[in-house]
Amino acid sequence: MSEKLIESAKEIIGKLKGRGLDGDVFGVNCRNVEYGIKKGELTDSSEYDDVGLGIRVLKDGKLGFGFCTPGYEEKGVKQAVEFSKVSQKIDLKFPEEEHVPKVETFDSKIEQVISEGKGADFTQELIDGCVSYAEDITPTMGGVEIYLGSEIVANTNGVLLEKKRTAMLGSVMATIPGEKTSITASEKEVSKKSDIDFKNVGERSAEKVDSMRNEVTLPEGDIPVMLESRSLNQLLGFGLIPSFNGENVRKGKSVYSDKLGEDVAHSHLTLKDDPTQDWGIGSSPFDDEGVVSRTLEFISHGILKGFMYDLKEAHKSETESTGNAIRANFKSPPDISERNLVLRGKDTPREELLPDGGILVDDIMGAHTANPASGDFSIVATPVWLIENGEKKGRIEGVMLSGNLPELLKTIQLADDYKKTYMSLGGRSLKLDTPSARVDDVIVSGK
Amino acid sequence: MSFKEIIDKVVADGAAYCDIRKEHWNKTSLTLKDGVPEMVAQGEEEGAMVRVFYGNGWGCVGTNDLDDIQETANRALTMAKKSARYKESETDLADIEINQDKIKIPMKEDFRDISAEEKLSFLKELEYNLSKNFVKSTDIRYRDSLVEKEIITSEGTHIQMEIPRLVAYLIVTGKSDTIQRASEGTGGTGGYEITEKTLDKTNVVLDRLETLLEASTPPSGKMPLIMDPHLAGVFSHEAFGHAAEGDLVASDNSCLKGKLGEKVASDIVTIKDDPTMEGYGSFPYDDEGTKTRNRVLVKEGTLNDFILDRENAWKLDLEPNGGARAEDFRVKPLVRMSNTIMEPGDMKFEELLEEIKGRGVYAKASSGGQVSPAQGTFQFNAQESYLIEDGEIVKPLRDVSFNGFTLDTLQNITGITDKLETGIGHCGKGQTAPVSDGAGHVLVSEVMVGGRE
Repeated sequence: MSEKLIESAKEIIGKLKGRGLDGDVFGVNCRNVEYGIKKGELTDSSEYDDVGLGIRVLKDGKLGFGFCTPGYEEKGVKQAVEFSKVSQKIDLKFPEEEHVPKVETFDSKIEQVISEGKGADFTQELIDGCVSYAEDITPTMGGVEIYLGSEIVANTNGVLLEKKRTAMLGSVMATIPGEKTSITASEKEVSKKSDIDFKNVGERSAEKVDSMRNEVTLPEGDIPVMLESRSLNQLLGFGLIPSFNGENVRKGKSVYSDKLGEDVAHSHLTLKDDPTQDWGIGSSPFDDEGVVSRTLEFISHGILKGFMYDLKEAHKSETESTGNAIRANFKSPPDISERNLVLRGKDTPREELLPDGGILVDDIMGAHTANPASGDFSIVATPVWLIENGEKKGRIEGVMLSGNLPELLKTIQLADDYKKTYMSLGGRSLKLDTPSARVDDVIVSGK
Repeated sequence: MSFKEIIDKVVADGAAYCDIRKEHWNKTSLTLKDGVPEMVAQGEEEGAMVRVFYGNGWGCVGTNDLDDIQETANRALTMAKKSARYKESETDLADIEINQDKIKIPMKEDFRDISAEEKLSFLKELEYNLSKNFVKSTDIRYRDSLVEKEIITSEGTHIQMEIPRLVAYLIVTGKSDTIQRASEGTGGTGGYEITEKTLDKTNVVLDRLETLLEASTPPSGKMPLIMDPHLAGVFSHEAFGHAAEGDLVASDNSCLKGKLGEKVASDIVTIKDDPTMEGYGSFPYDDEGTKTRNRVLVKEGTLNDFILDRENAWKLDLEPNGGARAEDFRVKPLVRMSNTIMEPGDMKFEELLEEIKGRGVYAKASSGGQVSPAQGTFQFNAQESYLIEDGEIVKPLRDVSFNGFTLDTLQNITGITDKLETGIGHCGKGQTAPVSDGAGHVLVSEVMVGGRE
């Protein structure tokens, strides 16, 4: 699959060396397959193949970028060289060859899933799981997504690395039609392996919406809050993680600028970026600049330990790259990003953490409107249940949560239901391994 | 084999319909952060998508390898056949006029003729204008793209289009007791002449940031809200427009399902989505080759139309109106908006203010939001807001968010000013689409404001 890409990358590196230039190439060869559900049926089947290369060139100390598809290498190099003229001067050093760790990211069974068109069967399993639960529950949206791809990084220092990745995702939005408005709930499962029980994902979506039939009112007074991991993930991703970006730190746009080594969270809490985790959703042996992966601790036992850098920002901040360069596709230059976020700490069985007389928040709307610089957020929570004696006692509509993420980390209590997942929102995608959590320091308001 | 021959073969093999959409893109991006060119990129790419409709099933395959479209078409047919096995309910495509046209949206000033150096000097001029002592950081982004599209269908439609687009964003950050951010974007369908509008926006973002730096946290509770034209435009797009997308209506994922001809807003509300007007979301034919037209979605409070592609028009027994858009050749067209406008009314801003007895909020520009078209709920954050007390603007507020039910909020619109202003955006629905939206100032008698007090 990737021979053509590797040949193309080698040709580009040869052309750069021939001109006495430093540079690197990031190449992608992937297939994305999608099956969509609408109104209880498989309605859409689509896939696309993408092959292409992003080229960075250092000319007269200035970094230019261009992209091309195989066969157009000369044009790509020419554009990158041309654009280097208007770029900044930067003394960028591309990585040297180094030992690359083994990280499990590729399941060959997924190749078979694609070639046999099994995604359509999996989609039907999602539907069957959902509709078998109750007569009036329909999967109105969702589907199956499958990814199979190879990415390479090559540079003029002789580095030539390849990583192969696979992933599958199944999601369902289950709906109960209503007079004024429908009741909906969704479930999603993501894995790097072909191991998702699609029928179960469908069943869980139906079970969830079934528990929302009765509407109850929000209790008065201070209300304890339990966030399912997907709500917590969105808040972390949009309200907190930008503060660990080395560029924001250098520019004073992070709440954690000047706080390295200080207590910033509860002493049990560790937040790290671990792309070396086997089968982690965002794991891979090296980043999109060819920097070898390692674990980066942001917070260790409550203490602020580090920030993330790509090559360019590391140079500006006078430090080393932490291997946090990510490219959205071959057409984009790298940007600083978390890769496989892992939240750990002293955990408590989920049942014990569920707040009696409090609320359980499954999902939130508007996490991307959180202020990335301050961590302040004010969002709508939905679906939300009232919890009594560890049971869901009905849904609550119109709940808003507001608070401050860095402050929440000081009192957060983690449950023991760790889950690897992926989410895409507001132009960003997050890959995480986190549990649900109890956060009592949020302001809960209702309609 | 020509595209026409490939399509004919797919149809000969049993497909009810087939189309090929070939695209060639030319793109430039420049980003200037704190005066330093951070991201300069330029490139070209091309590819095609083949869509095959077989039985009741679809197979859509995109590729950027144009050497083997025959193989791509074979895969699309295989996929459609498998899909049809699981698709029991009948589906078809509503008829459209067979179009053969070649159309080029003009650029007064072709951005391909402007050198990268010149584009960068323009960004530096913007940066110079944004250099004030209260600005801690600047981020200026410029993007232009020219797409040449060719759409060929098994029914005989053959469209060739050239669509140029340009967009620029200004983002400034400052710090008082907290870090605050203000942004503005300008853009359009056309050439480098669009950048003229960007210079005017520097003062808008500077004033906004200065205001935010001295702003207080907002109150929470139900209260009247005045949305400025940009926020009201985003509301029209997000809260209402998505629910008017035919695919969501036809699949029971919209609160507007079954409401055509019913009252869904107050009498003073008229909302249109018009790809034929000047704007960032304009296009002459959609990605199925349907000629676009203005869609009056709400007419004086009554639900009048949906945004429709061919399949969903068939399902809803309505006329396709050019609503199918794809981000690029990799993906299939979805039902998308274009330029969404809440028509201006006849009031003045002062008159809206006078309507507010007691406490209210005046909110300007959006900093994001999220909607659930199925439940008909929305959540938005304003960039810049003010507390209103008894018709007077009292003090600036920051981090104001508000939420509610779309249909209740549309019924609660009690005043719209007479001056239309438009803004631009990038709409996300799994794929990104350039759009614009606009309105006058809009008074909503009651909405839930969420604050930290």
